[in-house]
Amino acid sequence: MRRRALLAALTASPLVAASAGCSVGESVDTGNGNAAGPAGGGAFVAAISAQPDQLDPHKTTAYASFQVLENVYDTLVVPNGKTLEMEPSLATQWDTSPDGLTWTFRLVEGVTFHDGTPFTAADVVFSYRRIIDQELANSARFATVADVTAPDDRTVVITLKRPTPNLLSRIGAFKGMAILSKDVDESTLATKANGTGPFALQGSSASEISLERFDDYWSRAPKLGGVTFQFLPEPAAALTALTTDQVQWTDNVPPQRVASFEDDESVDLGRVASVDYWYLAMNCAKAPFDRVEVRRAVAFAVDRDALTEAAKFGTARPNQTAIPQGSEWYYDYAPFRTDLDEAKRLLQQAGVSTPLTMGVMVTSDYPETVTAAQVLASQLEPLGITVKIETEDFATWLDRQGRGDFDAFMLGWLGNVDPADFYEEQHRTGGANNYQKYSNPTTDDLLDRAAVEPDKTARKTLYEQAAQQIVDDVSYLFLYNPDAVQVWKKGITGYEVRVDKAVDFDTLALPTRGDS
Amino acid sequence: MTGLAVRRTLQALVVLVGVSIATFALVHLVPGDPVRLALGTRFDQGTYDALRARAGLDQPLVAQYFSWFGHALTGDLGVSFRSGDPVTLLILERLPATASLAGASILVALLIAVPLGTASALRPRSVLDGAGTVLSQIGISVPEFWMGIMLILVFAGTLGWFPAGGYVPLSEDPVGWVRSLVLPAVTTGLVSGSVLTRFTRSSVLEALSAEHVRTARAKGLGARAVLNWHVLRNALLPLVTVTGVQLAYLLSGVVVVEIVFAWPGLGQLALQSVQARDYPVLQGAVLLFALVFLVLNLVVDLLYSALDPRISA
Repeated sequence: MRRRALLAALTASPLVAASAGCSVGESVDTGNGNAAGPAGGGAFVAAISAQPDQLDPHKTTAYASFQVLENVYDTLVVPNGKTLEMEPSLATQWDTSPDGLTWTFRLVEGVTFHDGTPFTAADVVFSYRRIIDQELANSARFATVADVTAPDDRTVVITLKRPTPNLLSRIGAFKGMAILSKDVDESTLATKANGTGPFALQGSSASEISLERFDDYWSRAPKLGGVTFQFLPEPAAALTALTTDQVQWTDNVPPQRVASFEDDESVDLGRVASVDYWYLAMNCAKAPFDRVEVRRAVAFAVDRDALTEAAKFGTARPNQTAIPQGSEWYYDYAPFRTDLDEAKRLLQQAGVSTPLTMGVMVTSDYPETVTAAQVLASQLEPLGITVKIETEDFATWLDRQGRGDFDAFMLGWLGNVDPADFYEEQHRTGGANNYQKYSNPTTDDLLDRAAVEPDKTARKTLYEQAAQQIVDDVSYLFLYNPDAVQVWKKGITGYEVRVDKAVDFDTLALPTRGDS
Repeated sequence: MTGLAVRRTLQALVVLVGVSIATFALVHLVPGDPVRLALGTRFDQGTYDALRARAGLDQPLVAQYFSWFGHALTGDLGVSFRSGDPVTLLILERLPATASLAGASILVALLIAVPLGTASALRPRSVLDGAGTVLSQIGISVPEFWMGIMLILVFAGTLGWFPAGGYVPLSEDPVGWVRSLVLPAVTTGLVSGSVLTRFTRSSVLEALSAEHVRTARAKGLGARAVLNWHVLRNALLPLVTVTGVQLAYLLSGVVVVEIVFAWPGLGQLALQSVQARDYPVLQGAVLLFALVFLVLNLVVDLLYSALDPRISA
């Protein structure tokens, strides 16, 4: 068995094109005795579900891209993998002026980019200005920023138009806020990378991307010689590749397969409640869903536990608000129970006659929305609501969502960190993502006050009040928080699933030979 | 002969222009917006307008088409919305994988079809013929993705003979290339092979009943000689056509199999481009598929007239 596995590793492990002086066998042996792979110091292959669309961290929105970029670029601060508290990274410390309008960051010393140029404050200014001036994908995160300056090489000052207590999560929540080198040729960023992170981009093709250890990494040197990301969209292929040691890690685990891995001796299964949430949104600008009673009637007809079980096979946790249990911002508020009589009473009160047809727009790109809609249809039937499931591909889905052409839709929000990420753009009147056209002055006022409240406790209270209003009005009908699920070969150490699903391989170590 | 080639080439050019207009119209008619997609769920109007203008999508459609066509004539198919890479490069990058898979699949298909189809035709309604019919029915009806997953579970999982997915370029590692090629090629080859088996059987049957074969038999030629010389040569003619069409189809990528086996071919590229509404890549890919079909058709026709003296140019 071992011999075959090794053979498979040797023949199936991709030897990446000898671009840029591939350092086969030149890297320092970390002494953990791994079989030397393409990059030396242990070959590690991770199977991910999709090919990154591009590698420009400021432009991509694809999770697959961020899985790779996570290991290549750094941000000024990073979320803690469990609590999401912002911790130092390229910035070692920061302070805020008493009026909350000026933030001063001190930068780490002795950091170099992968191409050898030293990292300075000018690189931070360049990176942030690029996002702001070119209105790139994440420019909204700088909406309150007036200016970014560098008084000296080790200091960055961000001045604000109004207090922004969640500035740290805005600049550090994910690698979309990565620090690039100011000398970069921007036209190459989609396919090349030059970061300060633990691994440097070595090569990419249509089937895989490979990274090699960056020996001058400013923090702890990674234990792996390199990481190869193989794109295996078919779960059966990814999981077979894992069991045959063609790959050592994958997140392509369908919910119905999770149970079978829990007692599998050859792999470790990592599961945490993630910060993603999935929901149903009804069109507040379209009768009869503009009536809060109708939306509440639907909320009373839904059996969340059954729906979550059917859609996610026990790998998600039902929740009536957005923020998952375990987060410091979690708010225990669950006003709805499955109560058909109450649901019928509400419909009557709204003067809505049944049978009533409700189109629910879902997308085949996120199959769990299709499953969830099927369950929802059966749950709303006794109430006299006929659900018409409208399955679209994601491009069409987004198009219809943008035009407001729907009765209701289902989707999830991924990778949120701060409560503002969970509630502001989606539920404030005229919010950029308020496609359901929900509008309540009380909610707006609470969200506006929460956005500038410097005191954490007071801020949490404001968001709780806002969340309560949003849930009561059924702006979104929150359903569940899915678990982040990943599996890897037994014996791998130094790796944990993060609640934001960022995949950090810089502390991961392969088992030493003889204990696998 | 040359007259035919010139006439057919001119026809092909007209078809290509037609295809390019149809493709352009279709991809822009389909709902969905590449800019909206690129922004994902975090939408911002200012960003959206800026991106649209940068991609030239705010221009009138006709102007967009002529701009694209003009560049295409000079061999410039534009750049991908998603990655910013030149479309030509993206297509070229995937040709080796597609060509490997198409070639290997046709090989598998012919290895199945010619012996099995011929044997069935020589003994119609025998046990062998019945078995062949049933097998090719199964091959035609079983969905490719299911077949692919089964092959993965058995030959990659249980037996561990081949990788479960992925592609190894021939230039890097010939042995790895072959190993990565076997399962996807068998999956598509079984399907193509089933189609070609039925076809071989009927064309051999037809050839056997032809007059000159009856004459040859009456002259007392041995069965084997008759088969080799008179039957197969005639029977293989139509097979050339069908194989050409199958090859063209395979060269435009076998989407389902490419997804299952993580095979970085043109089918996968086309699918990703549709999903992302990456118009330049999609237009370039469809143009190439049309070109492949036209060229292979032309080659088949020319081969035909070379092989069959009855067809005059």
